[in-house]
Amino acid sequence: MLAVHQDVINIVQAKFLSAEIVKSIHLNVSALDETYNDDNRILALVEYNKTFALFVLISARKKPISISDLCIETVIPIDEYFSCDTEPIEESQSHIIFIITSKKIKLQFKIEIGIESSNFASEVIRSKEVSLYNPPVFVWLDKYIGTMSQLNRNSDLGEQSDTPIIRQRITQGTTAINRESMLKYQLKLKEPEFTEKQEFTIFVGTWNVNGQPPSVSLRPWLCYDESPPDLYAIGFQEIDLSKEAFLFNDTPREAEWQKYVMEGMHPKAKYRLVALARLVGMQLAVMINSQHYPYVKNVSYDTVGTGLLGKMAVWQFGWSYITPPSASVNCHLAAHVEEFERRNQDYKDINARMNFKRNPIAIKDHEQVYWLGDLNYRITDLTTSQVKTLVARKELNKLLKADQLNQQKERGNVLLDYTEGDIKFQPTYKYDLNTDIFDTSEKARPPAWTDRILWRGKGIYQVEYRSHMDMRISDHKPVSSLFKSEISVVDPLKFRKIHEDLLKKMDKYENEYLPQVTVDQTEVKYDLVKFREPQTREIIIANTGMVPAEFEFIKKLDETSYCKDWLRIIPYCGSINPGETCEVKFEVTLETSLQNIYDILVLHLKGGKDMFITVSGDCQRSCFTSSIAALCRINVPIMQLSEEEWRLAENNESGVLYSVPREIWLMVDHLYRYAGTVQAVAESLLLFLSYTKDPVIPFELHDTCIAAASNFQNCRQIILQRVPDLHRNVFLYICMFLQELSKYSNDNGYDARTLPLYSVTSCSGIRYVTRSRKTAGASRILSIISS
Amino acid sequence: MSAGPYNYSYIFKYIIIGDMGVGKSCLLHQFTEKKFMADCPHTIGVEFGTRIIEVSGQKIKLQIWDTAGQERFRAVTRSYYRGAAGALMVYDITRRSTYNHLSSWLTDTRNLTNPSTVIFLIGNKCDLEGQRDVTYEEASKFAEENGLMFVEASARQMGNRGDNVEEAFLETAKKIYQSIQDGRLDLNAAESGVQHKPSQPGRNNLSADQQASKDNCAC
Ligand SMILES: Nc1nc2c(ncn2[C@@H]2O[C@H](COP(=O)(O)OP(=O)(O)OP(=O)(O)O)[C@@H](O)[C@H]2O)c(=O)[nH]1
Ligand SMILES: [Mg+2]
Repeated sequence: MLAVHQDVINIVQAKFLSAEIVKSIHLNVSALDETYNDDNRILALVEYNKTFALFVLISARKKPISISDLCIETVIPIDEYFSCDTEPIEESQSHIIFIITSKKIKLQFKIEIGIESSNFASEVIRSKEVSLYNPPVFVWLDKYIGTMSQLNRNSDLGEQSDTPIIRQRITQGTTAINRESMLKYQLKLKEPEFTEKQEFTIFVGTWNVNGQPPSVSLRPWLCYDESPPDLYAIGFQEIDLSKEAFLFNDTPREAEWQKYVMEGMHPKAKYRLVALARLVGMQLAVMINSQHYPYVKNVSYDTVGTGLLGKMAVWQFGWSYITPPSASVNCHLAAHVEEFERRNQDYKDINARMNFKRNPIAIKDHEQVYWLGDLNYRITDLTTSQVKTLVARKELNKLLKADQLNQQKERGNVLLDYTEGDIKFQPTYKYDLNTDIFDTSEKARPPAWTDRILWRGKGIYQVEYRSHMDMRISDHKPVSSLFKSEISVVDPLKFRKIHEDLLKKMDKYENEYLPQVTVDQTEVKYDLVKFREPQTREIIIANTGMVPAEFEFIKKLDETSYCKDWLRIIPYCGSINPGETCEVKFEVTLETSLQNIYDILVLHLKGGKDMFITVSGDCQRSCFTSSIAALCRINVPIMQLSEEEWRLAENNESGVLYSVPREIWLMVDHLYRYAGTVQAVAESLLLFLSYTKDPVIPFELHDTCIAAASNFQNCRQIILQRVPDLHRNVFLYICMFLQELSKYSNDNGYDARTLPLYSVTSCSGIRYVTRSRKTAGASRILSIISS
Repeated sequence: MSAGPYNYSYIFKYIIIGDMGVGKSCLLHQFTEKKFMADCPHTIGVEFGTRIIEVSGQKIKLQIWDTAGQERFRAVTRSYYRGAAGALMVYDITRRSTYNHLSSWLTDTRNLTNPSTVIFLIGNKCDLEGQRDVTYEEASKFAEENGLMFVEASARQMGNRGDNVEEAFLETAKKIYQSIQDGRLDLNAAESGVQHKPSQPGRNNLSADQQASKDNCAC
């Protein structure tokens, strides 16, 4: 089905244990909330034992070609908290936003619409369903969560083609801090320094217009106050009760009412519409004094229908003139006396489901919220006439005690942390049209304060809370409230300055949060380095920075390994926590002929600097690693030679003094004479033969020898004609010795084919090349010759 | 606040090269920390510093590699040139030898970076006028002949007129930015030393995608 990506799936799978199965992947995903926007992410759905998790991997290339291209960025268990959703992108037909929410995080990805995305999404949704049936256990994810912060840990050094690629990672911006969240946080802390409390007068009005068309000026309502408010938030309910309005969520009435609103606002100021939200016969309009208009930012709104046909519907929008956004909610909750629970539920639904696109925070997280609307709570336990009597006697307090909203609020069932001002006006429902007389119809509904305005948040002061009896076209009276609210206004100049200062500080953080270490020495010097006598030096790497430092010795350009073969670095990579140290051992073992050892090692900090560590030492000359030809030219122990004498011998410029090196002769002679107690010498001979600068059978003849191995004549010819004289001497000398040895095989238990012979052969004859195969050939030559 | 005010849209990689003791580390430190280090130890390795600057309203993160100047490290530091968008080549106006070596530094730079790499020559320690060993004129001529940008600067005389440290780093960035605008610098080339990070998704993306798919075909 996803055969297209089977190759990539295999690579991704390699990142996991075999029991952890990569079910589905999505390539070329870009993370929206990232500082960067490259589409090198891969989403992978992984299953282990019927539990699922979503992995976000970063790929070093568009399409990874090896496991080292991938590192795990985030792991999200698919559990009860997990959900995924999609959202269209305004400017794009081809892509959508894929939103993943879990207990801890919300991630947004941009993905291309297509088979891949729909397959992947359906797999994810299916896995979510599976996880609902058997409560998942996610212990298996722990190991990945552990590696997340240490990006690229799994990438094996051996697979890096050269150092710049490793360093490239830094260029990809993997710094220790997340600039964006850091800056937001710092700005929040500094908010008092760049904002200023300003008092705004806010006029909040709500009116259930009972499906009536607008026919009278709204000024008596909207211009009730002497001076013009800074902001209007006007909500209507039941703008149109026709079936069409419900079905199509569209009615000309809304525009008509809005026109009346615009005309009805205070004549002493000019207003502009900030936002208008509509839903089935309801609307909420926010208008602002045009002098403030330029400062309004991030306006967004949402509507939520709650259940039964149109009767309940709610919406809201948020604006932030200022840093902390405010919201106003206009709602029309379920009708009828007995439906108070339903209304409570509606309220909860509104809160739960409201979601501002631009600024996705919950209603309760807004600094200031105004809740207005036909909340539809009634007066309980009193008959219509009782209510009317109490109203007539102006004994509103008794009535208010019977008010369902007050009762439910008191019990904590609804609008818990909202405040409502004292109600000093008579119930706003239900009146005979065009009168101030309570319902005289057959139904004779008991009057109620269905229309209410509440608020939540600091710095809100209610100046007025009233109804407007002279607005008579509906069976409800409009209600309004005038608030003086403190709004913190950003001082653009101060903001700019603080913002810039913070940015500068963050730049500093960038440097401060770079991994930093010091080493106690950058020059590692060895005493005279002798053949196969290891020497160890230690350096101490101390993390002097603020973040964990991952170090690694990396290879230099054009080199195949991070150090020469005479050196071992233990450990060659690791991680050091701030304030801690790590000892690194450098062990040198000399097995070749070198005058001195010298190398510059590059100690690289992931995401930081590189340090150079110079390793050096002089080497002692040794017969073991010398050439056969040179050794045949000297007649004293190698250490006793002067520089000049040795130079001449090494360059084959002095005369040949022996037909085989003195050292070989001495050792073989010893073995011959003292057979039995010869273990050490025998081993030395083996060592000697295996470390001579050039093997007895020269490198260039190895292949020929192997080809000739089965044929005695050919072997003989090679030995006689192609092997250099001194080497031939050594070869024959050893062979004769072995022959001699095999004569006594009955006594000493050695057989021509047993271990010593083979070792001698393998060491002396052919070396450095896939030993097992080729030495077998060489030993055959030897055995043929020696038999 | 426009979209993504916290982000930078580009990363430029710089290297600082030149003989030992000419003041490379001091220049970097001055640029990133605004401080002068009176006795700065030799750099044994490659130090790393960053700073975010603004060019034509674009936020750019400079990622600066300060290399060891000692001759014995020369072979190793060569691996750091690759992928540099800017190279600051520094000599010490009070030591003629550091000036004389410029041609060899320049050769390395030319060989190891790509043609669009901006090379900026800095004659450092211009606060030590009394000990001047290289005249402004000859260095300026050298720069002109080799197509380099040039200033004399001082990592010590901070804040004073003519410290020129900021200028050197910023002018280099401007030149690189210009090359991007002109299309002379191919952002998609692995070694351009520049990374583009469009902060608004969906805007700059399309062209990048097209480029990428072209790349894919090629291989
Ligand atoms: N008077 C003066 N001294 C400076 C200036 N810049 C650097 N120095 C001094 O020159 C010395 C060497 O400076 P560094 O920045 O360490 O030189 P470097 O080029 O980084 O040297 P290496 O790391 O060895 O390559 C230090 O003692 C600085 O204090 C300058 O502008 N004026
Ligand atoms: Mg330095």
